[in-house]
Amino acid sequence: METKADGVDGSLILIKQGAEARVFESSFVGRRSIVKERFSKKYRHPSLDAKLTLKRLNAEARCMTKARRLGVYTPVLYSVDIVLHTLTFEYVEGPSVKDIFLEFGLRNGGVVEERMDDIAMQIGHAIGKLHDGGLIHGDLTTSNMLIRAATNKLVVIDFGLSFTSTLPEDKAVDLYVLERALLSMHSSCGNVMDRILAAYRKSSKQWSSTLNKLAQVRQRGRKRTMVG
Amino acid sequence: MKAFEVNGNTLSLALFTEVTNSKELLDSMQSGTLDPEVAFLNASLIPDVFPLLAAAHKTLVAKSRESLTTRTLHSELVYNYSGSKHITESLKRCGISESSTYVLAARFNSSSDEIEQKAVEKLINGKEIDLEELGGRADQAQIQKHYKITSVELGISSLADAITCRIASRDAL
Repeated sequence: METKADGVDGSLILIKQGAEARVFESSFVGRRSIVKERFSKKYRHPSLDAKLTLKRLNAEARCMTKARRLGVYTPVLYSVDIVLHTLTFEYVEGPSVKDIFLEFGLRNGGVVEERMDDIAMQIGHAIGKLHDGGLIHGDLTTSNMLIRAATNKLVVIDFGLSFTSTLPEDKAVDLYVLERALLSMHSSCGNVMDRILAAYRKSSKQWSSTLNKLAQVRQRGRKRTMVG
Repeated sequence: MKAFEVNGNTLSLALFTEVTNSKELLDSMQSGTLDPEVAFLNASLIPDVFPLLAAAHKTLVAKSRESLTTRTLHSELVYNYSGSKHITESLKRCGISESSTYVLAARFNSSSDEIEQKAVEKLINGKEIDLEELGGRADQAQIQKHYKITSVELGISSLADAITCRIASRDAL
């Protein structure tokens, strides 16, 4: 623990462990923060492992800050540590869109319909801005979106699989992943995807080619067939 | 001076206006005769202490690994605050020039005894003001230009947060 605390202010409290990284809560010069540590994979060759871990760490930091430059809320990046393979960023106070949607499914409609609309619109606008700026999120799911409690604004997190691309194909697959996630997790919420796409259409200038591609991707699935 | 806790160390800050001896400060700093060692920053580029503390954090981590990019701990702070990789340019823009009148002085692990506190304040010929004034006195146009912050980004972010992101992500670019 001694060495872990190096470079980070306070104590670290593990809040999530994934396949690629561990997420801790901590504090950074007086502010509540999140520390995301990419650990090394013992099954990879050490030199390849070091290269990949570092490359992905830097890519994530770049994409997170690029999203902000495009006008999409993401947590403020506080620090990047290439020795410990950690990113430290702002702790965003508020529920995930996943939790809100799940709760919505239980309660079934009513006044919250408006909130649903608002969130779907914010999601569509955010993705539209990212895509027009040539940034593909890569893992658009409702658990990677938070609603900041203080402002009710959508905050997009986890840019670990993000990359830059202007291809309609990549944008369509990005949207398709979200569509599938919504279908499997939140089928009780009605057609949120339609509302998201309506907002996307408004904020993305290149919506037409992306949505055409999306229709094709729906037919064949996320992976391209490499036949012929 | 006001002290902030960064990573088990302290960073003491004091803000001055109407500074008249910038040239002297610059000379003694460049010849390495500044005693005690202090970092002088162009305060009009600092809208809040937080980005500076983030830069200080980065500086201390580099120091603990013996991997400073510049010659001293205090120049490293100025360099890190700039969010750029160009050392000369960073020190020029975020440090002080001969004509600077609005200056933030920063010192790591300043001992709390009166003598040293006084020594720092004595170095600078100017009027010490409260750190709270940073926000109101910052030069927004200059900050946006230096850090390349567009109005689109300011729609979702404070100036200070935008600077913090650039300081943090510099080496990832």
